[in-house]
Amino acid sequence: MNVLLMGHPNVGKSVFFNRLTGANVTESNYPGTTVDFTKGWMKIDGEDAELVDVPGTFSLDPKDKAEEVAVAMLHENKDAKVICVIDASKIERGVYLALEILEEGYPMVIALNMWDAAVDKNILIDINNLQRILGVPVVSTVAISGEGIKELTLKLKEAKPIKIEDIVKNAGGLT
Amino acid sequence: MEKKLSEMKYEEEGIVTDIEETLRKKVAGMGIRVGKRLKMITKQPVKGPVVVAVDEAITSLGLDVAEKIIVEMKS
Amino acid sequence: MKLTIDQRWDLIDKIAKQTVTFGEYRHTLKDAIGELTIKPFTGIPIAIAVMYAFWSIFSSFAGTLFTDGFMVKLFDGHFLPWMQDIFPGAGGWLYYIIVGDPLANNSFEALGVLTSGFFVAIGVVLPAIFIFYLMLALLEDMGYMPRLAVLIDTVLHRIGLHGYAIVPTILSLGCNVPGVAATRILETKKQRFIMMTLLAIFIPCGAQIGIMEEVIPDTMGWVLLYLITGYFIFGYILNKIVPGKSPEFLIDVPPYRKPMISNLSKKVWGRIVGFFKVALPFVLLGCGIVNVLYLVGFIDWVGNVFSPVFVLWFGVPEATAGPLIAAFLRKDLAVAQLSVIEMTPYQMISAVVLVSIYFPCVATFAMMIKEGVKEMLGALAVLFVVVFLYGGLIHLIGILLGVA
Repeated sequence: MNVLLMGHPNVGKSVFFNRLTGANVTESNYPGTTVDFTKGWMKIDGEDAELVDVPGTFSLDPKDKAEEVAVAMLHENKDAKVICVIDASKIERGVYLALEILEEGYPMVIALNMWDAAVDKNILIDINNLQRILGVPVVSTVAISGEGIKELTLKLKEAKPIKIEDIVKNAGGLT
Repeated sequence: MEKKLSEMKYEEEGIVTDIEETLRKKVAGMGIRVGKRLKMITKQPVKGPVVVAVDEAITSLGLDVAEKIIVEMKS
Repeated sequence: MKLTIDQRWDLIDKIAKQTVTFGEYRHTLKDAIGELTIKPFTGIPIAIAVMYAFWSIFSSFAGTLFTDGFMVKLFDGHFLPWMQDIFPGAGGWLYYIIVGDPLANNSFEALGVLTSGFFVAIGVVLPAIFIFYLMLALLEDMGYMPRLAVLIDTVLHRIGLHGYAIVPTILSLGCNVPGVAATRILETKKQRFIMMTLLAIFIPCGAQIGIMEEVIPDTMGWVLLYLITGYFIFGYILNKIVPGKSPEFLIDVPPYRKPMISNLSKKVWGRIVGFFKVALPFVLLGCGIVNVLYLVGFIDWVGNVFSPVFVLWFGVPEATAGPLIAAFLRKDLAVAQLSVIEMTPYQMISAVVLVSIYFPCVATFAMMIKEGVKEMLGALAVLFVVVFLYGGLIHLIGILLGVA
C-alpha cells in the first residue's frame, strides 16, 4: 500500500514522517524545505506500507516548482491513501486543501496537528461533527510529542473514497 | 467604504468583496477569499509588500497582488 | 464531483460554522515579537542586527576561536613538521604532491595533499560550515526567514526576484549546492534562471568565506563588496534581458516557534556528513591534481599562454593560473593557494574575486545540470560574459584608483 503525507508547508509533516517511519528528515520553519520528496516504510496493521513525504502545498493549483512536484506526486499515485496534515489553528484553509484532494477521489485521514496551540488560542473544534460531515476519520495530534500518531495509523485502514455530494448534503447544502 | 487592499492602512480591518479572477485560484489556498475578514498588519516602504492577518494565518502579498483585492472597510 | 473555488469556500464556511468556535484570544509576547520583526521601523534594524550578529559569531567562532586558537597550532606545530619528518623522499615528486614544500613552516604554504589539503578542509572549513549551518538552522527553525523575505522583497524585486530569493541566497553562503536546489521555491522560469546564475557567479560559499577570513582578513571586505555589487548589477541587467514573467510575491508567514534540539542537531549533522562525503575528497583531489599539473609544467604553460589575459586584462599575475584550475574543484582550496602567491593587495582582491566568479565548483556544476541542461548552458554563457566584463572593470577601477 502507498500512503502520501500531504499538507501545507510548515505544519509539521516532516516530524510526522519521522514519527511514522523512524527516519531522519529535517523540517524547517519555512515553506519549500522538502523540495525533494522522501520515502520511507511504515507499519499498518503489521503490513509494510510505503510512506511518501510530499512537499508542502497550499492547493492543487501549484504556484512554484516545489508545489508542482507535490501535485505530480499525488497524480502519479492514483491508488494511494492520503494523510492530510492540517494546522488546527488554521483549519479553514487546511480543509480547503483536504477537499481538493477528496474531490479527486483519494481516501483520506485528517490530522489536526498542533492541537495544543489551537487549544491555547481558545479555538474549539468539534472533531466528531467534523468527522460526520466530511465522512473521513479526523484525529487531533501533536506531532512533536507524538500525541495521536498511533490513533492516526489505526484509522488509516478505515479511509475510503468520499462523494463530495455527501459532504455537501451533510453540511446542509450549498448556498 | 471600499478600498483596494494595497491602500489599507496599518491596523485597518475589512471584508474582502472582490478578487480579480486570475488571482482567485492563487490566493484561495492561503485562505483569502471573498467574504473573509482580514486585518492589515503592516506595509513595507518603497512599494514593498503588505502583510495581512486572515484568522490565525499571516500572509504577505506583493503590492501588485494586493491591488487586485477589494476590501469593504469595517466602519 | 468537483467544486468551483467559490463553492468550496461556501462549503467550508458551512462546515466551520457547525464545528469550530473561536474563543477570546489574547495576544502573547510571541505574537508581539512576530509583529515587531515584520514592521519596517523595527524589523529592518532588527534584521541588520541579526545579520551582524550572525557574521560576528561566524567569524569569532570559526576564525578566531577554532582555527587560530586551536587548528593552526595543531597543524603548524605538530602535524606539518611530523609529516615533513616521516614522509620519505624529501624533494622527490611524490613528496612534492603529498607533503609539498619540505621547508614550509606553515600549513598554508606547504601545498601538499595531506598537509595543506587536510588543514584547509579540517582546520579552516569544517569549523566555518559547522557554525554557519548551526546558526542558519536556528533562524530557519525559529521561523525568522519568511520575515526576512518580506523585509527584503522591495530590494530583490529590482533584480527580477522577490523576497523569497533570500532563502537560496543565504543557503548558498553555506554551500552553493543546496542553494541551487532551493531555487525551486521560486515561481517562474525566469526567476529560477536569474537566481541560479547569480548564485553560481556571485555568492561565495561558507568554505570560501572561512578561508578568506583566515588568509586575507584585511582585504576580504573588498572582495565581498565586489561580489555583492556584482550580484545586484548583473541581476538588474539579467532582469532586463531575460524574457519571462516578473514575480508576484505571495508567502505565508508562520508564527515563531521554539527550535527543537533534535531537529537542529540532525540538520547540522547532515551537513557535516555531506561535507566529509563531498567536500573533503574534492579538496584532497584538487590539491593533488594541481600539484601534478605543476610538476608536468602544465600550469606554467597555461600561465604563459593566457599571460596577456591575466596580466593585461585582469591585472593579476600569471601564477594565478594554478589556483584558477584548482577553483574548479574547490574554491576554498584555490583561495588558500592564491594567498601564498606574491602580489599587491589589489591584485589579491582581483584574483580572489576572479576565483569566486569564474566558474562554479564541480559539485555546484553537477547540481546545475540536474536542474536543467538548458538553464546550465545559459548560466555558463552569462558567466563568461560577466567574468570578462566584471574582471576587466575591477582592473579598470584599480587603475583609476591608482592601486592596480
